[in-house]
Amino acid sequence: MNDYIVELEDIQKKFENVLILKDVSFGIKERETISICGESGAGKTTLINIMGLLEPPTHGTIFWEGQKTITYGIEKISQLRAKIFGYIFQRCNLIPELNVIENILFPKRITSKIRTSDIEFAQQLLRLVQLGGFEERNVLTLSGGESQRVAAVRAMINRPRIIIADEPTGSLDEKSANIIMDMIINLCREYGSSLLLITHNQLFAKKMQTSYVLNNSKLKQLDCLESEG
Amino acid sequence: MNWCLYLALKQLFPTGKKFSFFSTMSILGVALGVMVLFIVQSVMNGFQHEIRQSIVDMQGEVRVDANSNIIHNANGLSTFLKNQPEVVAVAHYAYGIVMLKYNNRPSFPIIKGIDLENEIKVVELRKFIKNGNIQDFDCESIILSSELANQIGARVGNSVEIYSPIMFEIAQSDEIVLPKTLKVVAIYETGYRQSDENIAIVTLDTLQDLYGLSEGIHGISLKLKPNIRPEKFVFELNKNLTPPIHAMSWQEMNKDLLFVLKTEKTMMFFVLVFILLVAAFSITSSMTISVVRKTHEMGLINALGGTIRQCAACFMIQGFIIGIIGSMIGIAFGMVLLKFRNNIISIFVKLCGVEDFMLKFYSFAQMPATYTLGDILKVIVFAVTICCLAGMLPAKKVAKIKPAEALRNE
Repeated sequence: MNDYIVELEDIQKKFENVLILKDVSFGIKERETISICGESGAGKTTLINIMGLLEPPTHGTIFWEGQKTITYGIEKISQLRAKIFGYIFQRCNLIPELNVIENILFPKRITSKIRTSDIEFAQQLLRLVQLGGFEERNVLTLSGGESQRVAAVRAMINRPRIIIADEPTGSLDEKSANIIMDMIINLCREYGSSLLLITHNQLFAKKMQTSYVLNNSKLKQLDCLESEG
Repeated sequence: MNWCLYLALKQLFPTGKKFSFFSTMSILGVALGVMVLFIVQSVMNGFQHEIRQSIVDMQGEVRVDANSNIIHNANGLSTFLKNQPEVVAVAHYAYGIVMLKYNNRPSFPIIKGIDLENEIKVVELRKFIKNGNIQDFDCESIILSSELANQIGARVGNSVEIYSPIMFEIAQSDEIVLPKTLKVVAIYETGYRQSDENIAIVTLDTLQDLYGLSEGIHGISLKLKPNIRPEKFVFELNKNLTPPIHAMSWQEMNKDLLFVLKTEKTMMFFVLVFILLVAAFSITSSMTISVVRKTHEMGLINALGGTIRQCAACFMIQGFIIGIIGSMIGIAFGMVLLKFRNNIISIFVKLCGVEDFMLKFYSFAQMPATYTLGDILKVIVFAVTICCLAGMLPAKKVAKIKPAEALRNE
């Protein structure tokens, strides 16, 4: 028995007869960091959506802690998603009606009641990403970099086992992108979360333990590619 | 707090904003509809209550008669009725049509003979006396309804001539018939057209004399103890009465009018509901736009662990909250306006110059309005249901969102 938290086996995905993913198999283990690179439209986001059970594959099996997810109901999937995953997207990460601290605590609110310890943890995380004192700020007044840092903190609030970061620095300048990326990596290291990074940036990809490339609907490990080359 | 409720509240009242334009307009729309509905219902209730009260005050709660036949042994029946535990007072009456003449102006009113001493224990005749003095009422006098007095031009102190059908029968045998001359001692007005239109009141002795009834009467009016339901009492009483003698409640006697009043109230409710429907449509339209705008947000919430069904519930809850708050504000404003209704109406009447018309037409000194907790709850439940339904359409739209597609939507 393997020790993957989430594992995909022979995943195939078609959109109106267009093959996006073909026989994709991979998994993510505890504290592992993985990057997936690929051209725009290659299917990277589709792949992580399938992993998070946000959309079903056309064929293939998804295992969460060795269990086939096909038998899970919507409620259970949502609960697992809240506990196992922390998401950081490229843009529009925050809920505009909530302030910074409310946004951060929102995933916690979905899974359980908010305790004082949760608020303290959120404040601690905010200080870690150098946003101490931003708790009551309106999210619409934050810069792109600040928004991404808040999103990173929010992804951490449930102490998830996997952080899925879908091009988290895609809309930032190089300097901000480096700062944010280092912060995400440090947060994962600090709280023992695995990291699945979708990126175009080769430098960021190389910071991960394992790197994959999604090309022509197929997922290949980067060192395999290099040995093939 | 449940996160769906929390998010719904935050979407309506976002953190850091003094007010949300959408929420304020939606709530005000519902409040306006509820307020108008509540005020109109209360005024309709008030008018109904006044009219019903006028009927009871003028006709008594229950009447026992013999289908227009003459009751000869009235005292026996009267004693039996007085002995009923629910009965407070009884009063004999008789009636008929006569020709009434004043200054050569004839009229053919219904003339009612009453025993004043007992009658005032059963009906509130004194309350409706507009001119004159009821204390002067005796066998040589008559009380006229306001409409009848106007019609023939008689005033208090004038004498009117009465011709009964018996007098015409005597006249046919070539005998000279002299009319009965009665002095007008009072004029009454109930504000209820049917009672005010064409009625004259004389003593029971006078009517028995005019109609040759001897000791006979046409019926007995009853006053019941408070909180006794006339319909129920009548149902039980009729089991012990021998036909053709039977009892009728005031509701049964006036069922056509009561039906019209009820229908009128229902129709007003139906018409005014459209104000709420307009508010509901604007809520649906605003929320549907909001769903389109928040599609990505729905996908995001789904990724964070919420289900699309819960996101849909958020919109339903928003409709519910708008309904509750709008209803509360509407009822509160409605109560304030009802409290100062007479001041508002007097300003309106003066501005429009319709004072005389209002008084003549409605004949209530003040605009009546009554409401009960039941009325308030009915309006609130109705408004909240409409608002929940308004939230259902956008919620249904949310329920169709596919999370992954929503996340791609930026």
